[in-house]
Amino acid sequence: MNDWDIRLGSVLVALSVFVAWQLVTQAGLVQPIFLPSPVSTIGTLWRGLTQGDLLALTITTMERMFYGWMLASLGGTLLGGLIGLSRRARYWLTPMLELLRPLPATTLLPIGIALFGLQPRMLLGVIAFGAIWPVLLPTIHGFSAIEPRLHEVARNLGVSRLAFAVKFGFPNALPDVVAGMRLSLTACLIITVVGEMVTAQEGLGTTIMMAARSFRSTDLFGGIILLGLVGIVNNGLLALIERIATPWRAAQS
Amino acid sequence: MNRVSIRVAPAAQACTDPAIAFDGVRLDLGQRRVIDDLSFDIAPGEFGCVVGPSGCGKTTLLRLVSGLLTPNAGEVRRFGVTVKGPSRDVAIVFQDYGRALLPWRTATGNIALALEAIGLSRRERTMRVGALLEKVGLAGHGDKYPAQLSGGMQQRVQIARCLAQEPRILLMDEPFGALDALTRQALQDEIARLVKDSGATTLFVTHDLDEAIYLGDRVFALEANPGRLADVIEVDLPRPRDQLVTREQPEFLRLRHVLFDHVQKAL
Amino acid sequence: MRATGIQSDGLALPSQIAAALLDLVADGEIFLRSVETIAPIAIGVLIGGTLGLLIGIWLGLSTTAAQLAWLSIELFRPIPPVAIIPLTMLVYGIGIRMEAAIIGFACFWPMLLLTRDAVAGVDVRLFEVARMLGLPRRKQIVKIALPAAAPRVYTALRLTLGIALIVAVTTEIAANPFGLGYAIISAGLSLRPDVMYAFLTWLALLGWLLNLGLTALHRHLFGAASRGVSP
Repeated sequence: MNDWDIRLGSVLVALSVFVAWQLVTQAGLVQPIFLPSPVSTIGTLWRGLTQGDLLALTITTMERMFYGWMLASLGGTLLGGLIGLSRRARYWLTPMLELLRPLPATTLLPIGIALFGLQPRMLLGVIAFGAIWPVLLPTIHGFSAIEPRLHEVARNLGVSRLAFAVKFGFPNALPDVVAGMRLSLTACLIITVVGEMVTAQEGLGTTIMMAARSFRSTDLFGGIILLGLVGIVNNGLLALIERIATPWRAAQS
Repeated sequence: MNRVSIRVAPAAQACTDPAIAFDGVRLDLGQRRVIDDLSFDIAPGEFGCVVGPSGCGKTTLLRLVSGLLTPNAGEVRRFGVTVKGPSRDVAIVFQDYGRALLPWRTATGNIALALEAIGLSRRERTMRVGALLEKVGLAGHGDKYPAQLSGGMQQRVQIARCLAQEPRILLMDEPFGALDALTRQALQDEIARLVKDSGATTLFVTHDLDEAIYLGDRVFALEANPGRLADVIEVDLPRPRDQLVTREQPEFLRLRHVLFDHVQKAL
Repeated sequence: MRATGIQSDGLALPSQIAAALLDLVADGEIFLRSVETIAPIAIGVLIGGTLGLLIGIWLGLSTTAAQLAWLSIELFRPIPPVAIIPLTMLVYGIGIRMEAAIIGFACFWPMLLLTRDAVAGVDVRLFEVARMLGLPRRKQIVKIALPAAAPRVYTALRLTLGIALIVAVTTEIAANPFGLGYAIISAGLSLRPDVMYAFLTWLALLGWLLNLGLTALHRHLFGAASRGVSP
């Protein structure tokens, strides 16, 4: 079996899952309230995207997620760089950071809400606050774990502190920063959806929550599919970034 | 103490068939012709050594005998029967012993694996493993994990596991290549003794010409690209062989010259 | 301690946090909430993790099966577990079953993929040894493939347990009014930052203890075989 045969086989297997799903719903084995047929789900989804406001809601959620991610990445890189390069800052902040490290990003959501309030604009801040940690910690490590020999080289050459950060610190930290940004984007999606659910802001999270509460299962499944698509787009984007920023790593995976 | 002798499985027929026979064997791996029109015989109980430059297919040879590979043309036969796949009465000692031992089992556990495959009782297994450990000089080290053993000891565990199969044919792929000189010499003598005791037919691949002459009854010199038989050299030195005495004999030195010339030409 | 622009209701002094924590321990509420979080984790990991393990072993052993399943996995894997929350609410309402279902879904994928990689990554040489010894296929799997893959599978389990904890707390923050996550968000919304941080500290402690226990277990299970060479 050559490559194309296998790929075709893979497509067939995936299709058969959907066929089985359709057959199960047609046979009435499961209540349509709990499991709508794929046909009606796709139909509702299509209508919602083209005629309804599903597309706008999806974009709202994605915008929130991406802006939050960019804020978190930027803030995490800058802050991480500052802390990583300053021994005194590391000394004072490391204990607190070590304490916060095992906490999942979503648990920082309540803190964020408590600090920033439930205002609509503040949701972005909450998302960024929760998603900054996966970027911050590896960045600190990347900036601080520079080969001591390189420090000596820099001092010999009379390199200024800013130049050191840019020419030595940043490239050294880059793989860690990129890895952190990957985790951060995943966290952003989760926090965005949960944040919307908790604060009842307009977006996909709230939409599927309301669909569940009013037993509109086709809307619910359509929303889940959309979120899955967002996840796929995210993965694709991250793979692209990793290949551009750290081409030697892409070869391994 | 119960002495369990390690014996070769009884040959059913008074066979005149060679233990190993290569008959016009050709093997291609991808685009490369690794072995071309190879034909030779090894008699039962014989110790055959294979030497040659890298790329002559020495290792591939063993895999053909073991049945892990099948030829594109020609036949490989064991005791007159065409080889179709691995068989329990053929044992192979790999060069990379680190990868060939189960790291999560002790030396005892690794050797026992061969006996578990046959389905012996636990009591019988314990007895045989104990005897084998003694035979390869590892008595008392049975409870150690491979990571706790030196290279030479790990290789001995592998040899013991192969002997546990009571093989009619023993294949060895540069088994001492990764070991230091002193350990190598000790194991050479040990393998010669073990093979004589068990009566197994041995095919021994090595890049060390001296080792080939020291151990073998016959030495098969291969040439490379593609692998072909360049020459077969009879080693008529007395047994048991001794690291000092045998290696100083005029006949040994003559054979060295002959073999060296052949390998030079084959390069 | 009062930061400008940030609501003071969002912060608390360490002394206040400690006091709140002691109160919660004293009246047992913190243990009750912990059990409410741990119970669905146990169920979800057991069901979802075991399924992922079994299928992962199968896909690891059979390259063909893994290749055929590839597209199906890639289509369903990116669905974030949080998106499943409303679905399980629809089916189960609120409570332990709903949370266990989400955790099961979230644990299935990492166990599946990492187990598949662990089994597929077993050294070919070991299988050759097994073939030479004449071990039948079933014994090859049980005696060679599974023990060889065990350390990596254990690591996968550790990761999965971590994910389970995160998903459990997230579900409680978002929807399920039980457990530590709910206690945290509830305290935050009722302007009791001391209680909120107390629960957060407890959660961090639990995570740290879990990690400690799993590391010790790892050493116990796999330590002897990887100890260095004695001269």
